[in-house]
Amino acid sequence: MVNTDTIAAIATAHGRGGIGVVRISGEDLRDFSLNILGRIPAPRVAALTNFLAVDGEVIDQGIALYFPAPHSYTGQDVLELQGHGGDAVMHRLLARCLELAARPAEPGEFTQRAFLNDKMDLAQAESVADLIDAATIEAAKTAMRSLRGEFSRTIHQLVDALTSLRMLVEATLDFPEEEIDFLEESNALNQLAAIDSQLDKVFRQANQGSLLREGLHIVLIGQPNVGKSSLLNQLAGEEVAIVTPVAGTTRDAIRQHIEIEGVALHFIDTAGLRDTDDEVEEIGIARTWSAIQQANVALLLIDAAQGIVPADLEIIAKLPAGLPLLRVFNKVDLLGEEPRVDASGGVADIYLSAKTGAGIELLHEHLLRVVGWQTGGEGVFMARERHLSALRVAKERLSLAAACKGRVEFFAEELRLAQNALSSITGEFTSDDLLGEIFSRFCIGK
Amino acid sequence: MLYPSQFDVIVIGGGHAGTEAALASARIGLKTLLLTHNIETLGQMSCNPSIGGIGKGHLVKEVDALGGAMAAATDEAGIQFRILNSSKGPAVRATRAQADRVLYRQAIRGRLENQPNLWLFQQAVDDLILERDRVVGVVTQLGLRFQAKAVVLTAGTFLAGLVHVGQSNYQAGRAGDPPSITLAQRLREIQLPVKRFKTGTPPRIDGRSLDYSVMVEQPGDDPAPAFSFLGSSAQHPRQLPCWITQTNLHTHDIIRGGLDRSPLYTGVIEGVGPRYCPSIEDKIMRFSGKDSHQIFVEPEGLNTHEIYPNGISTSLPFDVQVELVRSIQGFENAHITRPGYAIEYDFFDPLGLKHSLETKGIQGLFFAGQINGTTGYEEAAAQGILAGINAGLLAQGKEAWYPSRDQAYLGVMVDDLITRGVVEPYRMFTSRAEYRLMLREDNADLRLTEAGRMLGVVDDVRWQNFVEKREAIAREQERLKSVWVNPKLLPQDDAERVLGKGIEREYSLLDLLRRPDVSYRDLLTLPGAGVGVEDSKVAEQVEIQAKYQGYIARQQEEVARHQHYEAMVLPLSLDYREVHGLSIEVQQKLNQHKPETLGQAGRISGVTPAAISVLLVYLKRGQSISDDKKSA
Ligand SMILES: Cc1cc2nc3c(=O)[nH]c(=O)nc-3n(C[C@H](O)[C@H](O)[C@H](O)COP(=O)(O)OP(=O)(O)OC[C@H]3O[C@@H](n4cnc5c(N)ncnc54)[C@H](O)[C@@H]3O)c2cc1C
Ligand SMILES: Nc1nc2c(ncn2[C@@H]2O[C@H](COP(=O)(O)OP(=O)(O)O)[C@@H](O)[C@H]2O)c(=O)[nH]1
Ligand SMILES: [Mg+2]
Repeated sequence: MVNTDTIAAIATAHGRGGIGVVRISGEDLRDFSLNILGRIPAPRVAALTNFLAVDGEVIDQGIALYFPAPHSYTGQDVLELQGHGGDAVMHRLLARCLELAARPAEPGEFTQRAFLNDKMDLAQAESVADLIDAATIEAAKTAMRSLRGEFSRTIHQLVDALTSLRMLVEATLDFPEEEIDFLEESNALNQLAAIDSQLDKVFRQANQGSLLREGLHIVLIGQPNVGKSSLLNQLAGEEVAIVTPVAGTTRDAIRQHIEIEGVALHFIDTAGLRDTDDEVEEIGIARTWSAIQQANVALLLIDAAQGIVPADLEIIAKLPAGLPLLRVFNKVDLLGEEPRVDASGGVADIYLSAKTGAGIELLHEHLLRVVGWQTGGEGVFMARERHLSALRVAKERLSLAAACKGRVEFFAEELRLAQNALSSITGEFTSDDLLGEIFSRFCIGK
Repeated sequence: MLYPSQFDVIVIGGGHAGTEAALASARIGLKTLLLTHNIETLGQMSCNPSIGGIGKGHLVKEVDALGGAMAAATDEAGIQFRILNSSKGPAVRATRAQADRVLYRQAIRGRLENQPNLWLFQQAVDDLILERDRVVGVVTQLGLRFQAKAVVLTAGTFLAGLVHVGQSNYQAGRAGDPPSITLAQRLREIQLPVKRFKTGTPPRIDGRSLDYSVMVEQPGDDPAPAFSFLGSSAQHPRQLPCWITQTNLHTHDIIRGGLDRSPLYTGVIEGVGPRYCPSIEDKIMRFSGKDSHQIFVEPEGLNTHEIYPNGISTSLPFDVQVELVRSIQGFENAHITRPGYAIEYDFFDPLGLKHSLETKGIQGLFFAGQINGTTGYEEAAAQGILAGINAGLLAQGKEAWYPSRDQAYLGVMVDDLITRGVVEPYRMFTSRAEYRLMLREDNADLRLTEAGRMLGVVDDVRWQNFVEKREAIAREQERLKSVWVNPKLLPQDDAERVLGKGIEREYSLLDLLRRPDVSYRDLLTLPGAGVGVEDSKVAEQVEIQAKYQGYIARQQEEVARHQHYEAMVLPLSLDYREVHGLSIEVQQKLNQHKPETLGQAGRISGVTPAAISVLLVYLKRGQSISDDKKSA
């Protein structure tokens, strides 16, 4: 049988539905079950159970369904975990599966396995091909698009650095008669260490305010009645905050949580940050400031008709240095203007209407872009997780490489495996590419 | 005239590919005819008098493991032997030898003349005899017609060969040999995919006119290694050193001054040349920051004064060649005996070949060597032996054989050629082999000799020796596994001397041998370690296998993961436009390449994993349809 590795995916649609399902298929899922459920469920019986993180912490509670091979959808062992809805929980659950060496399933892959394992008749084959085809086009479009901004720049730097190190190592092995001592000259171990710390940086970036577990922390600044609650409602797609025309309604709410594209957004409301003598309020204020220290981005909401006011500037001045600031001009509908992004001032200002929802997608996009992601395509989470899992393998290989002191052919082997791992991000890198780099950099040959 | 007797296999060309092909086919026991321009040039080295090197030495040992001639001939003709990368691990160590041109030719010719089932005939081949899409024989210049079940073409650089020196050029197969013009034309007419490549060679020099006192001597290894599994350094003739000198800024000025008359830089030469074997004019133009380039001064043989200045291949006009040669340190009074030149020649796009090296278009016609877009004697010899074996198998009505990428450099090379094609002359490098740690010179015999025996190309002497070695390795490994070293019984100073420090628990000798710093010979000095093996080749193998074990196990897992796809055959007749769900680009790629297996398809650039999934579904469908038909 082919496709012997374990795959996992969220099987239910995005959104805030009541339940969500993560489906896993693999040759043997018994160990996997032990790890994530603490036991192997009885075949084909719904069982209420905890879903466990690596440290035993409960991620969610829900129903586990275990279909041992061959009596399952794919013909392999299949495990279905039904949890409590929200995308953030589903993503955490999926991330846990990936931690247990499952790999994110390609779209259509469960069906493909079902077909290959004779779980489907011939008539269904065409649709399988269609599915894969659609997925290919989508994946191709997404792969690069989802990787932009700072995150992607670092990844590409990383790949370049690794390629150039490999080039030196391979040149050392294949061209010993040249006058150049490639490795000596370039200080391979230092280069390796640099790549390794670069990788650490990527991980830090990727986990910064961990999109997955913690979501994106956003400081929300804006005068009473500029439309903060309305904006949150629009972003969330349903009523979460209370909207009233009376100033100060949301003053006591420090945080609001909503999700877009499966990423949790936590809004830290600065409405309460006024001078006060009230002790209770003071505690609240202190808490708000400490939350602000953890933030990933500040969002300043402005009534487009009024512009920025001094009180806003005062708060902005007190924000942590370097915190990106996104300016959103609201209520463009009252001015009869179209929503837009205005980047003429060097930073992108967004003009929208929280009430009509016009321009809200611009904000979506910009919020995610702040942490290095573009919206659309296969979903922020999956694309990102795929890259991270490749990076994790690469990192493991690099640390093994570092341990190969003096044994160049083993060193080279670990680097090859590291690059193999990264090829899922960058596309295949062949030995011809490598030789090409060598010949263009060094005068080689007799 | 129709030649009265029929042959099983005809080989055209007596270069490195042709001679190995003919020998292999004849070893199998098939009636074989080797047709070549000139019996005097059998086994001729067109360029530098050297065999082996990184990646190439690996190929030579593989040819040897299959009973081929190249390694053994080098043992009889080598005048300097070295192990390159000897300070690095065994996987990247490689043997390289300078060969005496004349001795080498003699060694090859002797083997050809004494090989049962092999007939030699001196004639240029002008045409192939085809019956629809199958070859059944050849026609020579005199109009002689020879019939055979399979034909191996190994015409090297001869097809429509065009030699350039400065602005003059003339048709030739290489300097001093006639080109193959008629045959080249015929091959174009039958619409084989022809392209042009170029290569070059330096001027040769009378060694008596050189001043060696200003050069650096480069001696061979002592003791000199043998190339062949059955060889020994006792066979080697007298050994000679090589010398190293270099170009200088003045040399570079001279070259720049001649570029307006260079066929390379005035666009007269259209064929692409090898980047790792650049002409000196190329090196200077592409790396203008380099003030000097290394030149290896290599003897051409024991009984000649001619030397080969490795590193100054050129097609500049002769007057510039003289000036540039004389600007080199130690070459001030050099007398050139033969001018350097470049040669352009026809080759065939290897995408048109199967793994067996049979052409996809014409049944029974095999291609090997330079005409497949490769460069190098070793690359040619390795393809030659493969083509000879497969021509022999075809003549017997048997299935083709070829080694996989994890089995041999030969497998890597053929798969690269026929899967990716070539954009410049293809030379072997170890970085081309993803399973490099498994494909070592030291285990070429273990990788291939058994297969060679089954194919009928390995004789009794080699087989006997091989089996003994293999058994000795297994025995010693078993022994090391079963001897335990007890920490309490191991004296502290012995532990420190051999292992660096004491051990905390019981280990088998084999466990201890896996440690990077523990050598087999030292290990055997531990009390109770017993008597090891005498044979240094056996000891070496036991040691390497122990040290590499972890890495090899992982590479084997990688191989196993891909194996499934390698076994899934894609029909050559499949029109990929009919495969629903493939993008147009992938359809075109696959139709152009016509891969033989799903694994090969996956290695074609631009064929995505998703496309492989689609193919998988397609194959599976076809299979269910035919299953249905069977049951119906
Ligand atoms: C100028 C020059 C420079 C080179 N430089 C290098 C280098 O720097 N490094 C390197 O690795 N390699 C170099 N090579 C390549 C190396 O010589 C070849 O790769 C190798 O010889 C190829 O072996 P082969 O068996 O394919 O062909 P060849 O060795 O070329 O043998 C071809 C044989 O076929 C015979 N033949 C051809 N046509 C016919 C016909 N119609 N009928 C009968 N017989 C025929 C010829 O007489 C010859 O015996 C160079 C070659 C040349 C010519
Ligand atoms: N026309 C219009 N009215 C808006 C817009 N956004 C908010 N409002 C109105 O402004 C008032 C205050 O909104 P609210 O969201 O409570 O402001 P907050 O105090 O900043 O939370 C409400 O009456 C909203 O309906 C907008 O984009 N256009
Ligand atoms: Mg409000």
